[in-house]
Amino acid sequence: MIQLFHVSKLYPGGQAALLELTFDIPRGQFVFLTGPSGAGKTTLLRLIFREEIPTGGQIVVNGRNVASIPQRKIPYLRRTIGVVFQDFRLIARKTVFENVSYLPRILGVDARTQRKLAYKALRRVGLAHRMNAFPPQLSGGEQQRVAIARALINEPDILIADEPTGNLDPDLAREILRLFLEVNVRGTTVLLATHDRETIARIGGRVLTLEGGRLASDRMVDGTELPELRLAAEGEREGERDDEREGEESEEPVAAPAADGTSEEAAMGGERDAE
Amino acid sequence: MNLFQAVRYFFREAAVNLARGWKVSLLAVFTIAVSLFLGGVFLLASRNLSGSVARWQREARVAVYLTPQTTGAELAALAKLAAAEPWVRAVHPVTPGQAQVRFRQVFPSLADLVSSGSEEPLPASLELELREEARDGRDLSAALDAWRHRPGVTLVDDDREWLAQVQAIVAVLRGVGLMLGLVLLGAAVFTIASVIRLTAFLHGEEISILRLVGATEFFIRGPFYAEGLLQGLLGGLIAGGALFGVWWGVHERAAGALVPSLLAAEFLGAEQMAWLVLLGALAGLAGAVASLRGETLRSAG
Repeated sequence: MIQLFHVSKLYPGGQAALLELTFDIPRGQFVFLTGPSGAGKTTLLRLIFREEIPTGGQIVVNGRNVASIPQRKIPYLRRTIGVVFQDFRLIARKTVFENVSYLPRILGVDARTQRKLAYKALRRVGLAHRMNAFPPQLSGGEQQRVAIARALINEPDILIADEPTGNLDPDLAREILRLFLEVNVRGTTVLLATHDRETIARIGGRVLTLEGGRLASDRMVDGTELPELRLAAEGEREGERDDEREGEESEEPVAAPAADGTSEEAAMGGERDAE
Repeated sequence: MNLFQAVRYFFREAAVNLARGWKVSLLAVFTIAVSLFLGGVFLLASRNLSGSVARWQREARVAVYLTPQTTGAELAALAKLAAAEPWVRAVHPVTPGQAQVRFRQVFPSLADLVSSGSEEPLPASLELELREEARDGRDLSAALDAWRHRPGVTLVDDDREWLAQVQAIVAVLRGVGLMLGLVLLGAAVFTIASVIRLTAFLHGEEISILRLVGATEFFIRGPFYAEGLLQGLLGGLIAGGALFGVWWGVHERAAGALVPSLLAAEFLGAEQMAWLVLLGALAGLAGAVASLRGETLRSAG
């Protein structure tokens, strides 16, 4: 799914951000990317979704050589990659629905389907009832969940997250990590950058450690919570499958009262501008 | 997304942006409206003046004034001679008596000037209508010079001489209008470019997200192009409306006065008005394209 062959990134002046990185992440794997600040984690993620170009080596993402992909084809690569940042990157003047439905909108999906897809993505992160809210009205954890919903709306092959829990308290961080695991259980390859070694030790999984731009280690960590979280995520997935089966029978989402007093259908309501 | 859907999205986003930043947009719309209005004023004035000149040219005549001693027979002989000229379409001999009558009709308050005295105060003359094809020829000037030196002729008055001066004034007017219009239009394009660039920077975060989720450059730039186009279109419509209002005011209130009747006899045609508005739209689009060319939008995003 993601393959790096001797990848280096040198900035003007010769400063090396990454040096001779070689590794392979198979489809469906959950991988932590860790290392101290300045180790090159963010640069590596930016190379994968072609925000930057390597100065040496090759990166193959989903069968495409990212380093040599033509400029006009970059958008098509990015549509297969969901990206989540520490600072959420939500537009304050747009509703949650509008923030989440960017991709369907640019793909020309009709408004009704956009609403359905946004509803589905937000339901996965537990925020279907906040579709018409604006980001400043949400907590940090909720905003991060909206960002994850935006990244997931197109069922991407790869989900990349750069310190997604960095701004959150431990409980919220755990909730967000649980979401990533749930996404991974569905088959999405997840690459999660974090410098929180405690979280990695607790959860476990494959861990790539960068130091000074080099791959210092590539190891498996036996976390205590990973099996439990996987089981819980799989359980939730099963429950969701049941919901989907029910949903298919009734086609439209059930108009149940939502947490803010509105019905889910009302929460799915039309696109609305913040101004 | 098909082209129709994309265009609809572009204009919807552009309309939202215009409404959001209406104060800045208003500046751009006002600038383009002023430039098109002033350009339109010159266009309107030169168009009306050109129309008058063309009419006068169609009616242009050559008057050949004869000596006071010219007899009726000599007048008739000269008229026959003039009629034989290839550049003459028709000859109208005017006797001193007919000249007096005409003078009294045109200038009734000055009638006394031609009534007193025993001598004929006005000379006999020949009014020569020119053939269409001969009007612009150099041969005509040479032929008229020959008539100036003919015995019995005191003066040859050629309407084309003063019409040429009026034509030169119209050309200058048109040139000044064109220059002024272009300079102002350039300023308007610059203003629109600045407004669009500012809007792009204000939307930098959104642009970066659009790039992140896989929007193409066409999709990202489209709303900004539509915004420039709408600003220009709006400016053109305002300029057209203001131009019509001013023309209507001058045309209605100053009817009969010489200058208004020359400069504001007719309004611009529908085609010219459409071009004026289209020019505004194109200027707006040009401003948007100029503002987002190269790396501008990339750095904004």
